[in-house]
This record gives sequence, C-alpha cells and structure tokens, in this order.
Amino acid sequence: MKSIRLFLLLSLLATITLVNFVALLHGYQSSMEKAQSLFDSRLESTARLIASANSEQGIQQGIAEQQTPYTYFQIWDSGGKQLLTRSRNAPGFVTGELSEGFHEVNFDSYRWRNFVYRDQHLNRWIVVAERIDIRYSLAEEVVLESLLPIVIAIPVAALIIWIAVGVGLKPLRQFADQVRGKRADDLSPIHLDKVPYELIAVVSNTNALLGRLDDAFHREQRFASDAAHELRTPISVLKVHLHNLKQRLGEGDEDIALLKAGIERMGHLIEQILALYRTSPDQASARFERLDLYKLAQNVIAGDFVNFERKQQAISLEGESALVAGNRFALETLLQNLLSNANKYTPEGGEIRVSVRPHAESVELKVEDSGPGIPADQYLRVFERFYRVHGDRHDSGELGCGLGLTIVSHIVELHHGQIRLGPSSLGQGLAVTIEIPGE
Amino acid sequence: MLLNAVIIILREVLEAALIISVFLALSQLLNRKLGWMLVALIIGFSGAYLYAVNLSAISMAMEGTGQEVLNAVLHSVIFLSLLIFMITVPHQAHPMWRRINLVTIVLAVITAIVREGSEIILYIKGFIGIPDLLSPVLMGSAVGAGIGLSVGVFFYYLLVNMRKSHGIWLGYLILLLIGGSMVAQAVEFMIQADYIAATTPVWDSSHFISERSAVGQLLYALVGYEATPAPQQAAAYFSSILMLVVAAGISFMFRRKSS
Repeated sequence: MKSIRLFLLLSLLATITLVNFVALLHGYQSSMEKAQSLFDSRLESTARLIASANSEQGIQQGIAEQQTPYTYFQIWDSGGKQLLTRSRNAPGFVTGELSEGFHEVNFDSYRWRNFVYRDQHLNRWIVVAERIDIRYSLAEEVVLESLLPIVIAIPVAALIIWIAVGVGLKPLRQFADQVRGKRADDLSPIHLDKVPYELIAVVSNTNALLGRLDDAFHREQRFASDAAHELRTPISVLKVHLHNLKQRLGEGDEDIALLKAGIERMGHLIEQILALYRTSPDQASARFERLDLYKLAQNVIAGDFVNFERKQQAISLEGESALVAGNRFALETLLQNLLSNANKYTPEGGEIRVSVRPHAESVELKVEDSGPGIPADQYLRVFERFYRVHGDRHDSGELGCGLGLTIVSHIVELHHGQIRLGPSSLGQGLAVTIEIPGE
Repeated sequence: MLLNAVIIILREVLEAALIISVFLALSQLLNRKLGWMLVALIIGFSGAYLYAVNLSAISMAMEGTGQEVLNAVLHSVIFLSLLIFMITVPHQAHPMWRRINLVTIVLAVITAIVREGSEIILYIKGFIGIPDLLSPVLMGSAVGAGIGLSVGVFFYYLLVNMRKSHGIWLGYLILLLIGGSMVAQAVEFMIQADYIAATTPVWDSSHFISERSAVGQLLYALVGYEATPAPQQAAAYFSSILMLVVAAGISFMFRRKSS
C-alpha cells in the first residue's frame, strides 16, 4: 500500500460504485417491469374503450383514421373471419391468435405486443397492439432520468472522499512532517494541534521514546566526556612517572620507549574520543558562524607546521578565500585530522597539497598527499569507527586509533556537506575532497 | 439497451481490469517499479483507437476474416506474454531475465487494452448517430465500466494486502486462468473465421449460469467461463493452463538447482 489516502479513495469509491451500480441495475429492471405492466394495463383499457366506443349501432365500417404509427387496433367478428374495422396502419389479417390476453407478434418488421379482448356483449374480438421497441424506449427514457443522478454522483463522491480523507489524515501528515523536519540533535517532543484518538498512543509513545533517547544521549555524552576528561589526569601522572623512570634508567631502554608509545597512543585515543563526541551530529549543539575556510586552513597548517617540518614534507595551500557557515571547533578538528593523516602516512620528504576553492553554491576543500593511498574497495570502510586499513597489520608504524576519518565524516554531515575519497594528483597517494555549502 | 451496454462493456472492462490489477499487484509484490503502467496505458489506448478506426480495412483483409484473425493473434500474444512472464519470474536476480519479465508485463497490458479498448470504442461509436439510443448506451457503458474497474480495484488491494507469498500465488492462479481463457477465445475466433471446423458443444450450462448474467460475466472474466464451449475450445483451455503450470514449475526447479 503506497498511500493511505489513495487506498481509502479507491476502495471507498469502488465500494460505492459497486453497491450503487448493482442497486441501479436492480432498480432499472424493476422499474422497467413496472413500466411494462403499466403499458399493458393501458393497452387493456384502450381495448375496452374501443369496445364501448364502437357500439353495434355506431360501428364504423372500413378503415379508421389513426394518428400514432406505433399502435393499431382491429375489430373482428366472432369467428375471426371478417374484419369489421381497423386503424389505418393495422394489418388486414389476424396477427398471432385470437385468444384473450397478451401476445407478442411480428408485423411490419417490428415486434408488437397486442391485447386481444373478447367483447361478450356484442360477440366480437378487439385487438389493440403497440410496438415493443417504442414501449421499451419510452420506459427506458423515464427510468434513465431517475437513475442518471446516481451515475453523475460518483465523480462528486470521489471529490468529496478525496477531500474528507485528506482532512482526516491531516494530523498524521502533521505528525510525519514534524518527524521529518526534526534536526538530528532535536529530541524535543512532538506537538499536534488536535490529536485524534487513533494517534494518541503513537504520539505519546513517540514523545516518551524521544524523552528517553534525549536522557540516554545526555548520559552517554556526559559519561564519555567525563571519562575522557578524568583519564587525562592519570595519563599526565603516568607521563611524569615515565619521565622520572627515563631519568633513572637512561634514554636507550627499549621498554621505556614502548611504554612511552603506549601512553601517547592512549592519550591520542582519549583526545579523539572527546572530539568524536563533541562533533557528532547527534550531539553537537551546532553553533554556526561565518568562517573563512581558507584562513582556517592557514591557521591549522601553521599550528601543525612543526610536524611537517620534522618529516621534511613540502606542504602547500592553494586557492582563495571562501566563506562557509560552520562550527569553528568542528572545522578546525576536521582540518587537523585530515592534515594529521596526511602527515602520518606521507613518507619523509613527501608532498602534501591543500586547496580551498569557492564554487557557485559550495566550497571545495581538498587535501592530497603522496603517501601509499587507500585501495578503492576500502574507501567506504575507512569511515567506520576504529577501522584501519590493513587492520592491526598496519605497517605505517604511526600512532592512530581509526577514529580520524569517522570524526571527519561526522563534521561533514554536521555541515550538510559531502566527502569523497580518490587517488591523489601527486602521482600516488590519497585525495580527500570535501564540499560544504557556501555562505 | 442499458442492460446490453452494461453487459458488453462490463465483459471488456472486467477482463482488462483483471489483467492490469493482477500485474500491478504482482509488480508491487515483486518489488518492481510501477512507472511502466502509464506508458503501457498510453500505448494501449492509442493502439485501441487505431484498431477501431481501421476496422473496415482490417475486416476486409484475409478474405473477410481479418478481424477474427487479428483478435486471435492479440489473445495469443497475451497468452505468450503470460507464459514468458511465468518462466522469467523465478530468475528476477538476473538483469536480462528481469528486463524480459518487464517487457512481457508491458506487452500483455498493452495488448489487453488494445483488444478490449477497441471493442468498447467500436460499440459506442456505433450509436453516435442515434441520439435516442446513445443516452442509454452511454449510461450503460458508464455502469459497466464502473463495476468492472471497481472489481479490478478490489482484486488489486486484495492481492497487495495479503501475506506476500499468498498474494503472489493467488496472482499466479488468476494469470493461469486468464491464460486459459485467452487461448480458448483465440480458438473461438478461429472457429468464427472458419479456420477451425465448428462442432457441437461439449456441454451446455447456460441453464445454470447464463453467459449474459452478471455472475456469468464475472466468471467469464475470471476463469474464461463459456456456457457452450466447442471441444477444441475446452481442449485449448485446459491444455494451455497445463502448459503454463508445467513451464512455471520447470522454471522454479531450475532456479532451485542453480541456487
């Protein structure tokens, strides 16, 4: 069932049509039968009238004048041998049989219904006949007039049903519009002007669900944020202890180096989890402002320049000033994650190219590197949480937790943008292209 | 006159409405798009109009048996479409079979509309010069079309609102019966055109259910009911249904084996 409104319209209309038309046919048949019996009684009366008008003294011999071509009469003697009189269009012979009652006969290329009346008083036969097709069409004309409104009423009924069903479904449409129009982070209850009985349970249960969801999100956000925040302190303490240990045991100890890498990895993971929750479309209270993406990229590159310098990588920023409506913290995190990935996976002495270009309705941000790149069949998977290309066998030896591109995709979604991965134009490596609606 | 018009139009509309509603419902149950229906309707009605306006030329063809032969061909096309449809349904996963399947649906609907639509146009056209009869004929046509379309709507919603597997099987069953009816009618036209010799009917059930009654019309559209069928018609009816069942069965078995 594609549409409730269409289903109700068609099924109601089909029911009305079927019931009305079957009743119409029944009414037509009964009316026609009734009309035929009325015509029969008129024929009978006419025969008696002719009998009384043509008394023995006044009987007119020969042919009587007659106006209507679809009726005729004959008066026969008692033996049916001699035709005493007839109307002009009547045959000069006996049509059918001379026995009292109604008969159907063929004459003059038409079917006629005749009534034979035996005048006992004057001992003669009176035959009155009427063309059946004329009787039928006269009756049909009268009956059709009364049935026509039923046929005309069907399109009118269709219009009324369409409007009535539309009005009846209005609360459902309002409900659907409100649900559809909700932003990802809007978990406020749904309000309808009038809630019909059938929707009370749906609206109240949906609102209760939204309320529970809102509470759960807040709890989760608080927990993740508090947990990550609380973990920063012990990690700082660990770093101090590590420093002291390093002083005591010397720089060259392999276990110390592994411990250091582990602590750094844990610290990075906590920072990324915090960023993930802060930038998730479900969670981010999107405070949007007017930002120049080009300038933002300039600042982020400058802030992280030391990392590129350490690996002697050539980083360049191309393009021009491009304004977007965005969340500053989120877009900075996006740039930091993209540049950090490029820095990590591009070998020493490699090249990284960042470009920001305004288009007609959007701004394009592209980060290309000359690293090993990602196989095309893994483009979609890298956006999954904690997914790393080649899994645990990742051979870059770089610090990572598999959250970077997940965070980037959240931020792009938050800004109603699009993200594409593809091969870099620097010979090899990855190109990440992001399009965000322009200001 | 009104009753005659109702019976003639109901017979044509009901048959076309059943074919269209069953295919629409099956398309929905088999997750097909329904946009093809609009195209099929437009081509079908155009074809019906062309058939009606060229009737005299068609009738004169083939020594005066052109109309009967064309009608027999149209019925055979519907049957063949149903046959290929049933064979291709189990292989929907394959794009080529899926495309062929859609073509058979469109072809069956177009042919049904051409055949039934042209009859309706010809019938009404015959009364245009007779004002006394036109009004009851138009009203009778509206009533017949209304009843036929309503039954089609009910069948459609019955099939799509049933449990999916039941809907598909009932749709199949109706198509089987329509297929049998199409071949039986094609044979009837060939008898009328004297290509097949007429013989005495196998049975006469007109005393129980007259072909002209409303029940007779519904049964005619649903199961191809004939009160006095010729032996060739009865044989064609049952053997074509058997052919559809066997073809669909073999196709299903092939899918099971290949999967």
